[in-house]
Amino acid sequence: MSIRKFLALTRAGIMESLHYRLGIAVTLFANLIYLVLVYFLWKAVYASSGVDVVNGMTFTDTMIYLILATALFNFLEMFVVWDMSRSIQSGKIILDLLKPMDFRTYTFWSYSGSHVVQFVLTFIPTFIVVMIVTGGAIPMGLNLLYFVVSTLLALIVNFGIEMLVATLCLYTESTWGINIVKETIVLLLSGASIPLAFFPEKVREVISYLPFRAVYDIPLSVLLGKAGSDSLEGLLKLWGLQLAWAVVLTVAGIIFWNISVKKITVNGG
Amino acid sequence: MECRGLKFYLSIYRKILIQDLKSKMSYRADFVISTIGMIMTNVAGFITFMILFHNFPTINGWDYYHMLFLYGFSLVALTPVQCFFDNNWNLRFMVQSGDFIKYCFRPINVFFYFMSEVFDVKGLGQLMFGLGTLVYAWYHIGVPVTFLTIMQALIFLFTASLFMIAIMNFAAATCFWIQGSGYVMVIMFRFKDFAKYPASIFSGIFKIIFTFVIPIAFVAYYPSLVLLSPDEVPLLSWLSPLIGLVFFFLSYKFWMLGVRKYDFTGS
Repeated sequence: MSIRKFLALTRAGIMESLHYRLGIAVTLFANLIYLVLVYFLWKAVYASSGVDVVNGMTFTDTMIYLILATALFNFLEMFVVWDMSRSIQSGKIILDLLKPMDFRTYTFWSYSGSHVVQFVLTFIPTFIVVMIVTGGAIPMGLNLLYFVVSTLLALIVNFGIEMLVATLCLYTESTWGINIVKETIVLLLSGASIPLAFFPEKVREVISYLPFRAVYDIPLSVLLGKAGSDSLEGLLKLWGLQLAWAVVLTVAGIIFWNISVKKITVNGG
Repeated sequence: MECRGLKFYLSIYRKILIQDLKSKMSYRADFVISTIGMIMTNVAGFITFMILFHNFPTINGWDYYHMLFLYGFSLVALTPVQCFFDNNWNLRFMVQSGDFIKYCFRPINVFFYFMSEVFDVKGLGQLMFGLGTLVYAWYHIGVPVTFLTIMQALIFLFTASLFMIAIMNFAAATCFWIQGSGYVMVIMFRFKDFAKYPASIFSGIFKIIFTFVIPIAFVAYYPSLVLLSPDEVPLLSWLSPLIGLVFFFLSYKFWMLGVRKYDFTGS
């Protein structure tokens, strides 16, 4: 019974996202231009270095990694922080808090529709283009299934980070500042701007335990069969890390929210 | 619309700017956090750059200091768009909510009035960061410091900034036609990250696209060649001020076309 009310939210989200079809087409088109930029930059970088493999990454690996990181970024991107601050300012948050559903659950499921749409309409087409351009360099097998599992875990970790940061909005009006700090840290330490394999050894060791890696690096490594994900033991280790962070961030987020929501001050509404 | 003197517009800009700064001062925490955020994006960009060079010592024949020069150059060139044209990011919300109509009722240029409303102080942090990088690289490469080179630097930095302003004007103005066009701006803003690499990495049709359609090659590469290789400056570098003005003018016309279209729907 309860799953039905969640799916109703998903459906509403899908319909809302489909309203912005042109925006989705633009996203897809932008991803393709981005693909071209990444292609030329890294081709030049690898050509200048004179070797084919750097830190276990070939040119093709790097390209697939970075393009799909961008596609994942479009797919995972949630505007929880923005929406939260806007609904605090307008007072709409009161209506959301009064809904007969836990606020966190409600937020998660109302974003699920846009995730579905973005996955089908931007991620999958980008994936197909990358596959064609690289001449089938993405291994096709069980790793695809593992990738989906890893992406779902990444989604939960990402939502955990978003909600923790969004809760901060109850204390300050500085949405832009908070959001840019979050985005910068996540993009840098998750490997979305430059693959984690290129980081200096010591730094990488520290980063590998942080939650950010669970958002982009782990799903992409699993897809490419890197970072030891080609053995079952290594795969379980990566999933374990994602799962652990998903649990920690969710619990921390719920506690932080429950404390903070009592302090909420809304002007108007 | 009648054309008024530069002096008139400067005095209005000053008045609006003071109001904007006053209202910003009332959110001091916001100012501090935003500034920290801005510094962090620059530091993160710099770290990415260092990691790239940690693995690859040269890129397409460009060594560390030359790349650093391009990087600093692009940061400085991106400052005007950040400081003076930041209100572009609000355009789509105002158009959607209908608040934009207020700009159409004033007896001054709509584009000017809209842009003058926000001055982004955070951009100054980026300017400092970029200037530091530029001076450091300048010193290490050994570009001579003469009146001529300083003037060239100023003119071509100004030129480079015109291109980025034009790109963002175009991107923002799409919201007059496309609903949910925020992503156009986000992606254009991400493309700027590629401005700090030498445009010689592109080939074929894409060289033309990234020079004349999405002109990121002009945000740092072509203008900075005037200083970096004074013996063999490509023609495009010398022409860049002119091309920059054309791009800016076209983006302004496109933006105003959007405004006129907005008047017609008149919601």
